[in-house]
Amino acid sequence: MADSAYKAPANATDTTALVVVPLRHPFRIAAITMVVISVAAILYSVFTNKEFQWPIVGHYMLNPIILRGLATTITLTVAVMIIAVIIGTIAALMMLSPSRLLSVPARVFVWLFRGAPALVQLILWYNLSIVFKTITLWLPGVGTIFSVQTNDVMTPMTAAIVALSLHEAGYMAEIVRSGLNSVVRGQTEAALSLGMRPALSIRRIVLPQAMRLIIPPTGNEAINLLKTTSLVSIIAVGDLLYSAQAIYARTFETLPLLIVVTIWYLITVSVMSFGQYHLERYFSKDDRKTGRGRSRGILRRIFSFRQRAAVA
Amino acid sequence: MTSRTSHNARFGAPENAMVFAAGIRKSYGHFEVLKGVDLEVPEGNVACIIGPSGSGKSTFLRCINHLEEINGGVLLVDGDFVGYRLNGNKLYELPPAAICARRAEIGMVFQQFNLFPHMTVMGNLIEAPVRVRGERPAAARERAMTLLERVGLAQKHDAYPRSLSGGQQQRVAIARALAMKPKVLLFDEPTSALDPELVGEVLTVMKDLAQSGMTMVVVTHEIGFAREVADQLIFMDEGVVVERGSPREMIASPQSRRTKEFLARVL
Repeated sequence: MADSAYKAPANATDTTALVVVPLRHPFRIAAITMVVISVAAILYSVFTNKEFQWPIVGHYMLNPIILRGLATTITLTVAVMIIAVIIGTIAALMMLSPSRLLSVPARVFVWLFRGAPALVQLILWYNLSIVFKTITLWLPGVGTIFSVQTNDVMTPMTAAIVALSLHEAGYMAEIVRSGLNSVVRGQTEAALSLGMRPALSIRRIVLPQAMRLIIPPTGNEAINLLKTTSLVSIIAVGDLLYSAQAIYARTFETLPLLIVVTIWYLITVSVMSFGQYHLERYFSKDDRKTGRGRSRGILRRIFSFRQRAAVA
Repeated sequence: MTSRTSHNARFGAPENAMVFAAGIRKSYGHFEVLKGVDLEVPEGNVACIIGPSGSGKSTFLRCINHLEEINGGVLLVDGDFVGYRLNGNKLYELPPAAICARRAEIGMVFQQFNLFPHMTVMGNLIEAPVRVRGERPAAARERAMTLLERVGLAQKHDAYPRSLSGGQQQRVAIARALAMKPKVLLFDEPTSALDPELVGEVLTVMKDLAQSGMTMVVVTHEIGFAREVADQLIFMDEGVVVERGSPREMIASPQSRRTKEFLARVL
Protein backbone atom coordinates (compact mmCIF):
# COMPACT_ATOMS: atom_id res chain seq x y z
CA MET A 1 0.00 0.00 0.00
CA ALA A 2 2.90 2.30 0.72
CA ASP A 3 4.03 2.57 -2.90
CA SER A 4 0.50 3.02 -4.21
CA ALA A 5 0.14 5.91 -6.61
CA TYR A 6 -3.19 6.68 -5.02
CA LYS A 7 -2.93 9.31 -2.30
CA ALA A 8 -5.90 9.34 0.03
CA PRO A 9 -7.21 12.75 1.15
CA ALA A 10 -6.26 13.59 4.75
CA ASN A 11 -9.87 13.34 6.03
CA ALA A 12 -10.59 9.91 4.39
CA THR A 13 -11.14 6.74 6.48
CA ASP A 14 -8.05 4.64 6.94
CA THR A 15 -8.66 1.55 4.73
CA THR A 16 -6.69 -0.71 7.07
CA ALA A 17 -9.19 0.01 9.81
CA LEU A 18 -12.08 -1.63 7.86
CA VAL A 19 -13.40 -4.89 9.30
CA VAL A 20 -15.35 -7.51 7.30
CA VAL A 21 -18.33 -8.87 9.25
CA PRO A 22 -19.12 -12.46 8.07
CA LEU A 23 -22.73 -13.22 7.13
CA ARG A 24 -24.52 -15.08 9.94
CA HIS A 25 -26.22 -18.38 9.12
CA PRO A 26 -28.82 -18.71 11.90
CA PHE A 27 -30.64 -21.69 10.33
CA ARG A 28 -27.41 -23.56 9.82
CA ILE A 29 -26.48 -23.02 13.45
CA ALA A 30 -29.95 -24.17 14.55
CA ALA A 31 -29.67 -27.31 12.39
CA ILE A 32 -26.20 -28.12 13.72
CA THR A 33 -27.45 -27.69 17.28
CA MET A 34 -30.32 -30.09 16.66
CA VAL A 35 -28.03 -32.68 15.12
CA VAL A 36 -25.56 -32.45 17.99
CA ILE A 37 -28.32 -32.79 20.59
CA SER A 38 -29.90 -35.75 18.76
CA VAL A 39 -26.60 -37.58 18.34
CA ALA A 40 -25.72 -36.97 21.99
CA ALA A 41 -29.14 -38.25 23.07
CA ILE A 42 -28.84 -41.39 20.93
CA LEU A 43 -25.29 -42.11 22.16
CA TYR A 44 -26.35 -41.50 25.75
CA SER A 45 -29.31 -43.90 25.50
CA VAL A 46 -27.23 -46.52 23.69
CA PHE A 47 -24.38 -46.49 26.18
CA THR A 48 -26.46 -46.16 29.35
CA ASN A 49 -29.21 -48.61 28.38
CA LYS A 50 -28.33 -51.82 30.21
CA GLU A 51 -30.18 -53.89 27.58
CA PHE A 52 -27.35 -53.26 25.10
CA GLN A 53 -25.06 -55.14 27.47
CA TRP A 54 -21.79 -53.73 26.13
CA PRO A 55 -19.60 -55.98 28.25
CA ILE A 56 -21.26 -58.96 26.54
CA VAL A 57 -20.60 -57.38 23.12
CA GLY A 58 -16.93 -57.14 24.06
CA HIS A 59 -16.99 -60.71 25.32
CA TYR A 60 -18.31 -62.15 22.03
CA MET A 61 -16.29 -60.02 19.60
CA LEU A 62 -13.49 -62.60 19.47
CA ASN A 63 -15.59 -65.66 20.30
CA PRO A 64 -14.35 -68.67 18.24
CA ILE A 65 -17.84 -69.45 16.92
CA ILE A 66 -18.29 -65.86 15.77
CA LEU A 67 -14.83 -65.81 14.19
CA ARG A 68 -15.53 -69.10 12.39
CA GLY A 69 -18.77 -67.58 11.12
CA LEU A 70 -16.87 -64.51 9.93
CA ALA A 71 -14.39 -66.77 8.12
CA THR A 72 -17.27 -68.59 6.42
CA THR A 73 -18.83 -65.28 5.35
CA ILE A 74 -15.53 -64.07 3.88
CA THR A 75 -14.81 -67.42 2.19
CA LEU A 76 -18.29 -67.46 0.71
CA THR A 77 -17.94 -63.87 -0.56
CA VAL A 78 -14.53 -64.53 -2.14
CA ALA A 79 -15.60 -67.83 -3.73
CA VAL A 80 -18.85 -66.41 -5.09
CA MET A 81 -17.14 -63.28 -6.41
CA ILE A 82 -14.42 -65.26 -8.22
CA ILE A 83 -16.95 -67.60 -9.83
CA ALA A 84 -19.27 -64.69 -10.67
CA VAL A 85 -16.46 -62.72 -12.35
CA ILE A 86 -15.47 -65.72 -14.47
CA ILE A 87 -19.04 -66.64 -15.48
CA GLY A 88 -19.96 -62.95 -15.89
CA THR A 89 -16.99 -62.28 -18.18
CA ILE A 90 -17.84 -65.32 -20.31
CA ALA A 91 -21.49 -64.22 -20.49
CA ALA A 92 -20.40 -60.66 -21.41
CA LEU A 93 -18.16 -61.91 -24.23
CA MET A 94 -21.02 -64.10 -25.44
CA MET A 95 -23.44 -61.17 -25.37
CA LEU A 96 -21.02 -59.17 -27.55
CA SER A 97 -20.61 -62.03 -30.02
CA PRO A 98 -21.92 -61.34 -33.53
CA SER A 99 -23.54 -64.82 -33.41
CA ARG A 100 -27.07 -64.78 -32.04
CA LEU A 101 -26.71 -68.40 -30.97
CA LEU A 102 -24.22 -67.14 -28.39
CA SER A 103 -25.64 -63.71 -27.54
CA VAL A 104 -29.27 -64.73 -27.01
CA PRO A 105 -28.58 -67.53 -24.47
CA ALA A 106 -26.26 -65.15 -22.58
CA ARG A 107 -28.98 -62.50 -22.46
CA VAL A 108 -31.54 -65.05 -21.24
CA PHE A 109 -29.06 -66.18 -18.56
CA VAL A 110 -28.63 -62.62 -17.31
CA TRP A 111 -32.36 -61.93 -17.44
CA LEU A 112 -33.17 -65.09 -15.47
CA PHE A 113 -30.53 -65.03 -12.72
CA ARG A 114 -30.45 -61.29 -12.22
CA GLY A 115 -34.23 -61.05 -12.27
CA ALA A 116 -35.07 -63.65 -9.65
CA PRO A 117 -34.45 -62.56 -6.02
CA ALA A 118 -31.33 -64.00 -4.37
CA LEU A 119 -33.29 -65.40 -1.43
CA VAL A 120 -35.69 -67.28 -3.72
CA GLN A 121 -32.78 -68.71 -5.73
CA LEU A 122 -31.04 -69.81 -2.52
CA ILE A 123 -34.06 -71.78 -1.35
CA LEU A 124 -34.66 -73.16 -4.85
CA TRP A 125 -31.12 -74.56 -5.18
CA TYR A 126 -31.23 -75.89 -1.63
CA ASN A 127 -34.36 -77.83 -2.56
CA LEU A 128 -33.03 -79.03 -5.92
CA SER A 129 -33.45 -82.65 -4.87
CA ILE A 130 -37.22 -82.24 -5.08
CA VAL A 131 -37.03 -81.99 -8.88
CA PHE A 132 -33.76 -83.80 -9.61
CA LYS A 133 -33.33 -86.86 -7.37
CA THR A 134 -29.95 -87.77 -8.80
CA ILE A 135 -27.29 -85.98 -10.83
CA THR A 136 -25.85 -88.25 -13.51
CA LEU A 137 -23.23 -87.80 -16.22
CA TRP A 138 -24.15 -90.11 -19.06
CA LEU A 139 -22.43 -90.27 -22.43
CA PRO A 140 -23.90 -92.11 -25.41
CA GLY A 141 -21.86 -95.25 -26.11
CA VAL A 142 -19.95 -94.94 -22.84
CA GLY A 143 -22.79 -95.23 -20.40
CA THR A 144 -23.03 -93.73 -16.94
CA ILE A 145 -19.77 -92.12 -15.80
CA PHE A 146 -20.96 -91.10 -12.38
CA SER A 147 -24.23 -90.71 -10.57
CA VAL A 148 -24.83 -89.08 -7.19
CA GLN A 149 -27.79 -88.36 -4.99
CA THR A 150 -28.65 -84.66 -5.27
CA ASN A 151 -29.08 -84.47 -1.52
CA ASP A 152 -25.48 -85.63 -1.00
CA VAL A 153 -24.05 -82.96 -3.30
CA MET A 154 -26.34 -80.06 -2.60
CA THR A 155 -25.13 -79.26 0.90
CA PRO A 156 -26.19 -75.88 2.29
CA MET A 157 -22.75 -74.46 1.40
CA THR A 158 -22.90 -75.76 -2.20
CA ALA A 159 -26.43 -74.43 -2.63
CA ALA A 160 -25.28 -71.06 -1.26
CA ILE A 161 -22.26 -70.87 -3.59
CA VAL A 162 -24.22 -71.97 -6.67
CA ALA A 163 -27.20 -69.69 -6.07
CA LEU A 164 -25.25 -66.57 -5.14
CA SER A 165 -22.66 -67.13 -7.91
CA LEU A 166 -25.28 -67.34 -10.63
CA HIS A 167 -27.17 -64.35 -9.23
CA GLU A 168 -24.00 -62.29 -8.97
CA ALA A 169 -22.77 -63.45 -12.40
CA GLY A 170 -25.86 -61.85 -13.92
CA TYR A 171 -24.81 -58.48 -12.50
CA MET A 172 -21.14 -58.99 -13.38
CA ALA A 173 -22.04 -59.83 -17.00
CA GLU A 174 -23.75 -56.45 -17.41
CA ILE A 175 -20.86 -54.61 -15.73
CA VAL A 176 -18.21 -56.32 -17.88
CA ARG A 177 -20.29 -55.84 -21.04
CA SER A 178 -20.72 -52.11 -20.53
CA GLY A 179 -17.00 -51.82 -19.71
CA LEU A 180 -15.97 -53.62 -22.89
CA ASN A 181 -18.44 -51.57 -24.93
CA SER A 182 -16.92 -48.35 -23.64
CA VAL A 183 -13.58 -49.06 -25.35
CA VAL A 184 -13.79 -47.51 -28.81
CA ARG A 185 -13.62 -49.73 -31.89
CA GLY A 186 -10.46 -47.95 -33.08
CA GLN A 187 -8.46 -49.51 -30.24
CA THR A 188 -9.22 -53.03 -31.48
CA GLU A 189 -8.50 -51.99 -35.06
CA ALA A 190 -5.15 -50.48 -34.06
CA ALA A 191 -4.24 -53.69 -32.23
CA LEU A 192 -5.31 -55.88 -35.15
CA SER A 193 -3.43 -53.71 -37.64
CA LEU A 194 -0.28 -54.29 -35.58
CA GLY A 195 -0.76 -58.01 -36.10
CA MET A 196 -2.18 -58.79 -32.66
CA ARG A 197 -4.55 -61.74 -32.56
CA PRO A 198 -8.15 -61.01 -31.40
CA ALA A 199 -7.62 -62.79 -28.07
CA LEU A 200 -4.36 -60.91 -27.42
CA SER A 201 -5.92 -57.57 -28.32
CA ILE A 202 -8.79 -58.19 -25.89
CA ARG A 203 -6.38 -59.19 -23.12
CA ARG A 204 -3.75 -56.49 -23.61
CA ILE A 205 -5.65 -53.57 -25.13
CA VAL A 206 -9.41 -53.75 -24.52
CA LEU A 207 -9.67 -55.36 -21.06
CA PRO A 208 -7.14 -53.09 -19.28
CA GLN A 209 -9.03 -50.05 -20.56
CA ALA A 210 -12.40 -51.56 -19.73
CA MET A 211 -11.08 -52.33 -16.21
CA ARG A 212 -11.25 -48.68 -15.23
CA LEU A 213 -14.99 -48.79 -15.79
CA ILE A 214 -15.42 -52.33 -14.48
CA ILE A 215 -13.52 -52.03 -11.17
CA PRO A 216 -15.61 -49.41 -9.31
CA PRO A 217 -19.01 -51.12 -9.79
CA THR A 218 -17.38 -54.53 -9.15
CA GLY A 219 -16.10 -53.24 -5.82
CA ASN A 220 -19.60 -52.11 -4.97
CA GLU A 221 -20.93 -55.53 -6.00
CA ALA A 222 -18.39 -57.31 -3.77
CA ILE A 223 -19.36 -55.12 -0.82
CA ASN A 224 -23.07 -55.70 -1.50
CA LEU A 225 -22.40 -59.41 -1.85
CA LEU A 226 -20.71 -59.58 1.54
CA LYS A 227 -23.91 -58.29 3.07
CA THR A 228 -26.15 -60.43 0.84
CA THR A 229 -24.38 -63.58 2.09
CA SER A 230 -26.20 -63.09 5.39
CA LEU A 231 -29.24 -64.52 3.54
CA VAL A 232 -27.59 -67.96 3.64
CA SER A 233 -28.39 -68.21 7.35
CA ILE A 234 -31.90 -69.14 6.08
CA ILE A 235 -30.58 -72.45 4.71
CA ALA A 236 -28.38 -73.12 7.76
CA VAL A 237 -24.97 -72.20 6.37
CA GLY A 238 -22.79 -71.29 9.36
CA ASP A 239 -22.01 -67.72 8.35
CA LEU A 240 -21.51 -64.75 10.66
CA LEU A 241 -25.22 -64.09 11.21
CA TYR A 242 -26.08 -67.80 11.62
CA SER A 243 -23.30 -68.24 14.22
CA ALA A 244 -24.66 -65.33 16.22
CA GLN A 245 -28.18 -66.72 15.94
CA ALA A 246 -26.89 -70.10 17.14
CA ILE A 247 -25.46 -68.47 20.24
CA TYR A 248 -28.38 -66.22 21.15
CA ALA A 249 -30.84 -69.04 20.59
CA ARG A 250 -29.24 -70.60 23.65
CA THR A 251 -28.34 -67.54 25.74
CA PHE A 252 -31.04 -65.04 24.70
CA GLU A 253 -28.36 -62.32 24.42
CA THR A 254 -29.99 -61.29 21.14
CA LEU A 255 -29.12 -57.61 20.93
CA PRO A 256 -25.46 -57.79 21.99
CA LEU A 257 -24.80 -60.53 19.48
CA LEU A 258 -26.50 -58.64 16.64
CA ILE A 259 -24.29 -55.67 17.53
CA VAL A 260 -21.25 -57.94 17.33
CA VAL A 261 -22.40 -59.06 13.87
CA THR A 262 -22.99 -55.45 12.76
CA ILE A 263 -19.55 -54.36 13.95
CA TRP A 264 -17.84 -57.22 12.09
CA TYR A 265 -19.75 -56.45 8.87
CA LEU A 266 -18.79 -52.78 9.16
CA ILE A 267 -15.12 -53.63 9.74
CA THR A 268 -15.04 -55.98 6.73
CA VAL A 269 -16.86 -53.50 4.47
CA SER A 270 -14.43 -50.72 5.49
CA VAL A 271 -11.42 -52.90 4.67
CA MET A 272 -12.97 -53.76 1.29
CA SER A 273 -13.67 -50.08 0.50
CA PHE A 274 -10.03 -49.30 1.20
CA GLY A 275 -8.92 -52.07 -1.18
CA GLN A 276 -11.32 -50.86 -3.85
CA TYR A 277 -9.91 -47.36 -3.63
CA HIS A 278 -6.37 -48.65 -4.29
CA LEU A 279 -7.54 -50.80 -7.22
CA GLU A 280 -9.24 -47.79 -8.77
CA ARG A 281 -6.08 -45.76 -8.39
CA TYR A 282 -4.03 -48.49 -10.04
CA PHE A 283 -6.27 -48.68 -13.10
CA SER A 284 -6.40 -44.94 -13.64
CA LYS A 285 -2.62 -44.45 -13.55
CA ASP A 286 -2.42 -42.77 -16.97
CA ASP A 287 -4.80 -40.12 -15.64
CA ARG A 288 -2.63 -39.34 -12.65
CA LYS A 289 0.63 -39.08 -14.59
CA THR A 290 -0.79 -36.15 -16.55
CA GLY A 291 -1.86 -34.40 -13.37
CA ARG A 292 -5.53 -34.79 -14.18
CA GLY A 293 -6.02 -37.05 -11.20
CA ARG A 294 -9.60 -38.13 -10.93
CA SER A 295 -9.25 -40.15 -7.76
CA ARG A 296 -8.40 -38.08 -4.74
CA GLY A 297 -7.71 -39.44 -1.28
CA ILE A 298 -10.63 -41.37 0.12
CA LEU A 299 -10.60 -39.31 3.29
CA ARG A 300 -10.46 -36.13 1.28
CA ARG A 301 -13.36 -37.36 -0.83
CA ILE A 302 -15.40 -38.03 2.28
CA PHE A 303 -14.50 -34.68 3.77
CA SER A 304 -14.61 -32.78 0.49
CA PHE A 305 -16.96 -30.19 1.98
CA ARG A 306 -13.98 -28.95 3.98
CA GLN A 307 -12.05 -28.16 0.81
CA ARG A 308 -14.95 -26.29 -0.66
CA ALA A 309 -15.38 -24.39 2.57
CA ALA A 310 -11.70 -23.46 2.53
CA VAL A 311 -11.99 -22.13 -1.02
CA ALA A 312 -15.09 -20.10 -0.17
CA MET B 1 12.87 -60.64 -50.40
CA THR B 2 10.39 -63.17 -49.05
CA SER B 3 10.33 -66.93 -48.94
CA ARG B 4 6.73 -66.93 -50.15
CA THR B 5 6.06 -67.43 -53.83
CA SER B 6 4.76 -64.26 -55.39
CA HIS B 7 1.43 -64.52 -57.17
CA ASN B 8 2.04 -61.20 -58.92
CA ALA B 9 2.87 -62.77 -62.30
CA ARG B 10 -0.17 -65.08 -62.23
CA PHE B 11 -2.58 -62.16 -61.82
CA GLY B 12 -0.84 -59.94 -64.33
CA ALA B 13 0.82 -57.64 -61.79
CA PRO B 14 4.36 -56.35 -62.30
CA GLU B 15 7.04 -58.23 -60.37
CA ASN B 16 7.82 -55.22 -58.15
CA ALA B 17 4.19 -54.45 -57.19
CA MET B 18 3.96 -54.09 -53.39
CA VAL B 19 0.20 -53.50 -53.44
CA PHE B 20 -1.87 -54.85 -56.30
CA ALA B 21 -5.65 -54.54 -56.42
CA ALA B 22 -7.82 -55.54 -59.35
CA GLY B 23 -11.59 -55.16 -59.52
CA ILE B 24 -12.10 -54.80 -55.77
CA ARG B 25 -15.76 -54.97 -54.79
CA LYS B 26 -17.19 -54.42 -51.34
CA SER B 27 -20.80 -54.18 -50.17
CA TYR B 28 -22.52 -53.49 -46.90
CA GLY B 29 -25.80 -55.34 -47.31
CA HIS B 30 -27.27 -54.08 -50.58
CA PHE B 31 -25.12 -50.96 -50.66
CA GLU B 32 -22.06 -51.36 -52.85
CA VAL B 33 -19.24 -49.17 -51.48
CA LEU B 34 -16.52 -50.29 -53.89
CA LYS B 35 -17.49 -51.08 -57.48
CA GLY B 36 -14.32 -52.51 -58.97
CA VAL B 37 -11.29 -50.54 -57.78
CA ASP B 38 -7.85 -51.10 -59.33
CA LEU B 39 -4.54 -50.01 -57.81
CA GLU B 40 -0.91 -50.80 -58.43
CA VAL B 41 1.77 -49.48 -56.10
CA PRO B 42 5.35 -50.53 -56.96
CA GLU B 43 7.77 -51.06 -54.09
CA GLY B 44 9.09 -47.75 -52.75
CA ASN B 45 6.34 -45.68 -54.35
CA VAL B 46 3.79 -43.37 -52.73
CA ALA B 47 0.17 -43.42 -53.87
CA CYS B 48 -2.24 -40.74 -52.68
CA ILE B 49 -5.97 -41.34 -52.80
CA ILE B 50 -8.25 -38.31 -52.75
CA GLY B 51 -11.98 -37.95 -53.11
CA PRO B 52 -15.12 -36.65 -51.39
CA SER B 53 -16.22 -38.31 -48.16
CA GLY B 54 -18.28 -41.41 -48.81
CA SER B 55 -16.34 -42.16 -51.98
CA GLY B 56 -15.06 -45.45 -50.51
CA LYS B 57 -11.39 -44.44 -50.23
CA SER B 58 -11.08 -45.28 -46.51
CA THR B 59 -12.97 -48.55 -46.99
CA PHE B 60 -10.58 -49.47 -49.80
CA LEU B 61 -7.60 -48.73 -47.58
CA ARG B 62 -9.03 -50.95 -44.82
CA CYS B 63 -9.51 -53.75 -47.37
CA ILE B 64 -5.76 -53.72 -48.07
CA ASN B 65 -4.92 -54.96 -44.56
CA HIS B 66 -8.08 -57.07 -44.35
CA LEU B 67 -9.76 -55.01 -41.62
CA GLU B 68 -12.63 -55.23 -44.11
CA GLU B 69 -13.25 -58.35 -46.16
CA ILE B 70 -13.65 -57.85 -49.89
CA ASN B 71 -16.55 -59.36 -51.81
CA GLY B 72 -14.79 -59.59 -55.16
CA GLY B 73 -11.53 -58.97 -56.97
CA VAL B 74 -7.91 -59.80 -56.28
CA LEU B 75 -5.86 -58.01 -53.63
CA LEU B 76 -2.17 -58.85 -53.25
CA VAL B 77 0.28 -57.31 -50.81
CA ASP B 78 3.89 -58.17 -51.63
CA GLY B 79 2.61 -60.80 -54.04
CA ASP B 80 0.31 -62.65 -51.65
CA PHE B 81 -3.24 -62.57 -50.37
CA VAL B 82 -3.74 -61.13 -46.87
CA GLY B 83 -6.74 -63.12 -45.65
CA TYR B 84 -6.48 -66.20 -47.85
CA ARG B 85 -4.18 -68.98 -49.02
CA LEU B 86 -4.21 -69.72 -52.73
CA ASN B 87 -4.11 -73.37 -53.69
CA GLY B 88 -4.84 -74.14 -57.32
CA ASN B 89 -7.96 -72.18 -58.10
CA LYS B 90 -9.24 -72.10 -54.55
CA LEU B 91 -8.81 -69.38 -51.93
CA TYR B 92 -8.86 -70.87 -48.45
CA GLU B 93 -9.83 -68.47 -45.70
CA LEU B 94 -6.94 -68.20 -43.22
CA PRO B 95 -7.36 -68.65 -39.45
CA PRO B 96 -7.05 -65.42 -37.39
CA ALA B 97 -3.47 -66.17 -36.29
CA ALA B 98 -2.27 -66.45 -39.91
CA ILE B 99 -4.13 -63.28 -40.95
CA CYS B 100 -2.50 -61.44 -38.08
CA ALA B 101 0.96 -62.57 -39.11
CA ARG B 102 0.29 -61.13 -42.59
CA ARG B 103 -1.23 -57.96 -41.15
CA ALA B 104 1.86 -57.35 -39.03
CA GLU B 105 3.71 -56.60 -42.29
CA ILE B 106 1.21 -53.89 -43.22
CA GLY B 107 1.40 -50.80 -41.04
CA MET B 108 -1.62 -48.56 -40.57
CA VAL B 109 -1.97 -45.01 -39.28
CA PHE B 110 -5.46 -43.87 -38.31
CA GLN B 111 -7.26 -40.55 -38.44
CA GLN B 112 -7.94 -40.73 -34.70
CA PHE B 113 -4.36 -41.92 -33.87
CA ASN B 114 -5.74 -44.83 -31.78
CA LEU B 115 -2.76 -44.90 -29.44
CA PHE B 116 -3.25 -47.21 -26.45
CA PRO B 117 -4.09 -44.72 -23.67
CA HIS B 118 -3.17 -47.08 -20.82
CA MET B 119 0.41 -47.48 -22.02
CA THR B 120 3.27 -45.01 -22.19
CA VAL B 121 4.65 -43.94 -25.56
CA MET B 122 7.37 -46.59 -25.13
CA GLY B 123 4.74 -49.19 -24.18
CA ASN B 124 2.79 -48.38 -27.34
CA LEU B 125 5.90 -48.88 -29.47
CA ILE B 126 7.15 -52.16 -28.01
CA GLU B 127 3.79 -53.88 -27.41
CA ALA B 128 3.45 -55.53 -30.82
CA PRO B 129 7.17 -56.23 -31.48
CA VAL B 130 7.41 -58.01 -28.11
CA ARG B 131 4.00 -59.75 -28.03
CA VAL B 132 3.57 -60.53 -31.73
CA ARG B 133 7.12 -60.91 -33.02
CA GLY B 134 8.60 -62.19 -29.75
CA GLU B 135 11.42 -59.62 -29.73
CA ARG B 136 13.39 -59.20 -26.51
CA PRO B 137 12.04 -56.12 -24.63
CA ALA B 138 15.50 -54.55 -24.33
CA ALA B 139 16.13 -54.80 -28.08
CA ALA B 140 12.62 -53.54 -28.89
CA ARG B 141 13.11 -50.61 -26.50
CA GLU B 142 16.39 -49.65 -28.14
CA ARG B 143 14.86 -49.69 -31.62
CA ALA B 144 11.82 -47.79 -30.37
CA MET B 145 14.11 -45.00 -29.11
CA THR B 146 15.68 -44.76 -32.58
CA LEU B 147 12.21 -44.49 -34.13
CA LEU B 148 11.13 -41.87 -31.60
CA GLU B 149 14.25 -39.84 -32.43
CA ARG B 150 13.30 -40.12 -36.08
CA VAL B 151 9.86 -38.58 -35.42
CA GLY B 152 11.43 -36.07 -33.00
CA LEU B 153 9.83 -37.34 -29.79
CA ALA B 154 12.64 -39.21 -28.01
CA GLN B 155 12.17 -37.11 -24.86
CA LYS B 156 8.47 -38.15 -24.65
CA HIS B 157 9.10 -41.90 -24.35
CA ASP B 158 7.84 -41.95 -20.77
CA ALA B 159 4.71 -39.85 -21.35
CA TYR B 160 1.16 -41.13 -21.66
CA PRO B 161 -0.59 -40.36 -24.98
CA ARG B 162 -3.18 -38.16 -23.25
CA SER B 163 -0.49 -35.63 -22.35
CA LEU B 164 0.65 -35.20 -25.97
CA SER B 165 -0.71 -32.85 -28.62
CA GLY B 166 -2.57 -34.30 -31.60
CA GLY B 167 0.45 -33.87 -33.84
CA GLN B 168 2.73 -35.57 -31.34
CA GLN B 169 0.24 -38.42 -30.92
CA GLN B 170 0.11 -38.99 -34.66
CA ARG B 171 3.91 -39.01 -34.88
CA VAL B 172 3.98 -41.64 -32.11
CA ALA B 173 1.36 -43.62 -34.05
CA ILE B 174 3.62 -43.52 -37.13
CA ALA B 175 6.59 -44.68 -35.03
CA ARG B 176 4.42 -47.47 -33.58
CA ALA B 177 3.54 -48.69 -37.07
CA LEU B 178 7.22 -48.50 -38.10
CA ALA B 179 8.24 -50.58 -35.07
CA MET B 180 6.81 -53.65 -36.83
CA LYS B 181 9.13 -53.03 -39.84
CA PRO B 182 6.20 -53.01 -42.26
CA LYS B 183 6.62 -53.54 -45.99
CA VAL B 184 3.93 -50.97 -46.69
CA LEU B 185 2.33 -48.20 -44.65
CA LEU B 186 -1.33 -47.25 -45.00
CA PHE B 187 -2.44 -43.78 -43.88
CA ASP B 188 -6.16 -43.14 -43.30
CA GLU B 189 -6.57 -39.34 -43.38
CA PRO B 190 -3.68 -38.91 -40.93
CA THR B 191 -4.02 -35.14 -40.60
CA SER B 192 -7.80 -34.70 -40.72
CA ALA B 193 -8.25 -34.74 -36.94
CA LEU B 194 -5.44 -32.24 -36.30
CA ASP B 195 -5.51 -28.54 -35.58
CA PRO B 196 -4.23 -26.68 -38.67
CA GLU B 197 -0.95 -25.62 -37.04
CA LEU B 198 -0.11 -29.26 -36.18
CA VAL B 199 -0.61 -30.68 -39.69
CA GLY B 200 2.87 -29.63 -40.85
CA GLU B 201 4.86 -31.66 -38.31
CA VAL B 202 3.05 -34.88 -39.29
CA LEU B 203 3.44 -34.23 -43.03
CA THR B 204 7.18 -33.59 -42.47
CA VAL B 205 7.56 -37.03 -40.90
CA MET B 206 5.59 -38.60 -43.78
CA LYS B 207 7.75 -36.84 -46.39
CA ASP B 208 10.86 -38.09 -44.64
CA LEU B 209 9.44 -41.63 -44.75
CA ALA B 210 8.60 -41.37 -48.43
CA GLN B 211 12.13 -40.19 -49.21
CA SER B 212 13.58 -43.12 -47.29
CA GLY B 213 11.88 -45.46 -49.77
CA MET B 214 8.86 -46.64 -47.73
CA THR B 215 5.94 -47.86 -49.83
CA MET B 216 2.95 -45.78 -48.80
CA VAL B 217 -0.75 -45.60 -49.63
CA VAL B 218 -2.16 -42.34 -48.28
CA VAL B 219 -5.82 -41.35 -48.13
CA THR B 220 -5.68 -37.60 -47.64
CA HIS B 221 -7.16 -34.19 -48.24
CA GLU B 222 -3.70 -32.55 -48.32
CA ILE B 223 -3.42 -31.79 -52.04
CA GLY B 224 -0.12 -29.97 -51.48
CA PHE B 225 1.40 -33.07 -49.89
CA ALA B 226 0.10 -35.24 -52.72
CA ARG B 227 1.59 -32.95 -55.37
CA GLU B 228 4.97 -32.84 -53.66
CA VAL B 229 5.40 -36.44 -52.47
CA ALA B 230 3.12 -38.81 -54.39
CA ASP B 231 4.26 -40.86 -57.39
CA GLN B 232 0.65 -41.34 -58.41
CA LEU B 233 -2.59 -39.65 -57.54
CA ILE B 234 -5.93 -41.46 -57.53
CA PHE B 235 -9.26 -39.67 -57.46
CA MET B 236 -12.13 -41.82 -56.23
CA ASP B 237 -15.82 -41.02 -56.26
CA GLU B 238 -18.85 -43.23 -55.58
CA GLY B 239 -16.83 -46.42 -55.28
CA VAL B 240 -14.83 -46.15 -58.50
CA VAL B 241 -11.51 -44.64 -59.55
CA VAL B 242 -12.53 -41.67 -61.66
CA GLU B 243 -9.06 -40.52 -62.64
CA ARG B 244 -5.45 -41.42 -61.94
CA GLY B 245 -2.07 -40.18 -63.03
CA SER B 246 0.92 -38.06 -62.14
CA PRO B 247 -0.09 -35.68 -59.33
CA ARG B 248 1.31 -32.52 -60.93
CA GLU B 249 -0.45 -33.06 -64.26
CA MET B 250 -3.68 -34.17 -62.66
CA ILE B 251 -3.86 -31.22 -60.27
CA ALA B 252 -2.88 -28.76 -63.00
CA SER B 253 -5.24 -30.12 -65.66
CA PRO B 254 -7.79 -32.66 -64.43
CA GLN B 255 -9.48 -34.51 -67.29
CA SER B 256 -12.75 -35.54 -65.64
CA ARG B 257 -15.46 -33.07 -64.71
CA ARG B 258 -15.87 -34.65 -61.26
CA THR B 259 -12.13 -34.34 -60.54
CA LYS B 260 -12.24 -30.70 -61.61
CA GLU B 261 -15.15 -29.96 -59.30
CA PHE B 262 -13.53 -31.73 -56.35
CA LEU B 263 -10.16 -30.02 -56.78
CA ALA B 264 -11.87 -26.66 -57.13
CA ARG B 265 -13.51 -27.23 -53.77
CA VAL B 266 -10.44 -28.37 -51.81
CA LEU B 267 -7.73 -26.15 -53.34
